[in-house]
Amino acid sequence: MNYIEKLRTSEDMVTPGMSACQGCCGELVLRRILQIAGKNTIVCVPPGCMSGAGVVGWDYQTGMKIPVHIPLLTNTASFLSGVSQMYQRKGRGDVNMIAVAGDGATADGGFQSLSGAAERNEKMLYVCYDNEGYMNTGFQRSSTTTKGSRTSTTPIGEAINGKQQPSKYVSLIMSMHALQYCATASPSHMQDMVAKIERGLSESKKGFAFIHVLAPCPTGWSFEPDQSIQIAKKAVASNMFPLWEKYNGNYYITVENKKPIPVKEFLQSMGKFKSLTDADIAQIQQEADTKYETLKKLASE
Amino acid sequence: MKIKAMTGNTTAAIAASLCRPDLIAAYPITPQSSVAEYLSELIHSGALASNYVTTESEHSVMSVIQGAACAGGRTFTATSGQGLALMYEPYFQMSTMRLPMVMAIVTREMISPCTVWSGQQDSMSVRDAGWMQVYVENNQEIMDMIIQGYMITEHEDVLIPINVCYDGFYLSHLVEGVDVPSQKEVDAFLPAVHFNHAILDPDNPMAVDSLTSGEVLTRYRRGHLEAMTKALDVIDEVDKKFAKAFGRSYGGAIEEYKTEDADIVLISIGGMTGTARDAVDMAREQGIKVGLIKLRFVRPFPVERIAKALKGKKAFAVVDRSVSFGWNAGPMYTEVRAALLGGNDKYSHFSAIGGLGGADISLKHMTSVIEKLESVKSKPGQHETLWLMKEF
Repeated sequence: MNYIEKLRTSEDMVTPGMSACQGCCGELVLRRILQIAGKNTIVCVPPGCMSGAGVVGWDYQTGMKIPVHIPLLTNTASFLSGVSQMYQRKGRGDVNMIAVAGDGATADGGFQSLSGAAERNEKMLYVCYDNEGYMNTGFQRSSTTTKGSRTSTTPIGEAINGKQQPSKYVSLIMSMHALQYCATASPSHMQDMVAKIERGLSESKKGFAFIHVLAPCPTGWSFEPDQSIQIAKKAVASNMFPLWEKYNGNYYITVENKKPIPVKEFLQSMGKFKSLTDADIAQIQQEADTKYETLKKLASE
Repeated sequence: MKIKAMTGNTTAAIAASLCRPDLIAAYPITPQSSVAEYLSELIHSGALASNYVTTESEHSVMSVIQGAACAGGRTFTATSGQGLALMYEPYFQMSTMRLPMVMAIVTREMISPCTVWSGQQDSMSVRDAGWMQVYVENNQEIMDMIIQGYMITEHEDVLIPINVCYDGFYLSHLVEGVDVPSQKEVDAFLPAVHFNHAILDPDNPMAVDSLTSGEVLTRYRRGHLEAMTKALDVIDEVDKKFAKAFGRSYGGAIEEYKTEDADIVLISIGGMTGTARDAVDMAREQGIKVGLIKLRFVRPFPVERIAKALKGKKAFAVVDRSVSFGWNAGPMYTEVRAALLGGNDKYSHFSAIGGLGGADISLKHMTSVIEKLESVKSKPGQHETLWLMKEF
């Protein structure tokens, strides 16, 4: 069955009434992962856009057709470690253990618990939907926010212009743990993403699987909601967000980028980068080039 | 019956293992570390078949445990001081999700100034985080309360996690004789864990801990508080059951010693109680009519039993091994006073504070509390806080 057929015929696990913004890639990613995973799944969605949009339930009502829990911003991977260990103990290692967390819960406050769970090689699939900031609470900066971005805590000002530091490349850091599986994915490359979710799920039965998914955010990044996939496509095409995976100790670039577009084309397609200078753009270009070169070297080993 | 010489920390580890937890998570911290080490030995030798998770922090300890409890498991851990502070976020969530567990707190002073030594500031600081707390006096009581703790916490009318608090170093590193129950005896005493109000299970999907409105949250809090009140009865009930099975009773939420005909009453918490008992005996030899209340449960607070035990007495003092900032007194002193509200004027009373940061509470200190009680007993009202310390 090809990936379109799989997505067409599998059940959506989110109940009606979810209130994500138009064009939200986080929502898209969450629904696709859980469609592939199916009903034999326990999912944790820490504080962030997806829990705020209602999938973790309200009062006595649930927001999912599968068991769901909102852990703390800081403990998703360790909480799920406990659930997973108990299911192994009960002889129910068949149940999918999935975390769907934003970049704040992954790369910032939740990073210690995430790194700990990866180091212990706990059996779970941890997916980060990275919209490069705390979008649920009004687009404050996170450590994955791209340098130069306008956020509500790195505004454009006379003295300081946007975020001053490059982003933390959380997937590459995660890949340096002795984990079972690590990958990046983009909603613009759905075939690649579905394959990685499937591999991530099967590897999560043996150990820790991590997928870092780019999730462009029309509300925070300032672009039209119907442009989300185009923006994601440009992020991949410009090497701002290369697609790769690591398993059995080897790195693979899964979408080769032989003729990358300039990062300028990605940066200029949204409002959050509108005050970048030419020098800023040149620096971001250099960082993207370096990132891709590093990955190529890792993949050729 | 099998008496073995062991430290408080070894006792705690053995007690926990006798309760056959599904999962133990641990992170080492002074003075708790040897609990984690001994549990590791039991696991690695194959003597204990629990899942065992050595995390990167106490925050993750409580989080892993919470996950296991949300899958229906019985869990155990132990911590101290800064570890408890780091754990606070999931610690509060554990109790408010009403997930049962036993956690030992090997009590330690809080930083600053830098200290790793004994005190009860850590556990006292979290007494309003929704957990039950019992303070024990010796290693035997550590053993017995960890076992009883599972029966209390898992009781269907309670479902509130419990801390068994024992003094860092004074008990954790002290070797005493402990009557260690057999596995068979504990198995017969303790039923299997069962609860289903907060369970992650694909066969019975629910949203555990959904976003909750204030009105509904208030209902949860009210239920939690009511369960705390019910727990007072369950504590007594379990104490009786335990006495029947193992021949040891602790009197429930408080233990009274020579209070019946006493004019003045000393109130102690935890390991200092042995010294307090000796001080009472010595004062009795001199004709001073003094009694002792050992405060065991701090949450739920035994309001009625305290009021009853102090009824008709002239004076009381509470010796705290921690402070209540803003009250210029110890926390248990303020709570005992609150329990007597309306009757305070009849009593002479004061707070005594000592044993902070590993400082000793000596027999001389305890005697000085009794002497002060004796001297103020005819002057109703609050008297100045007595600091049990060396003069510099």
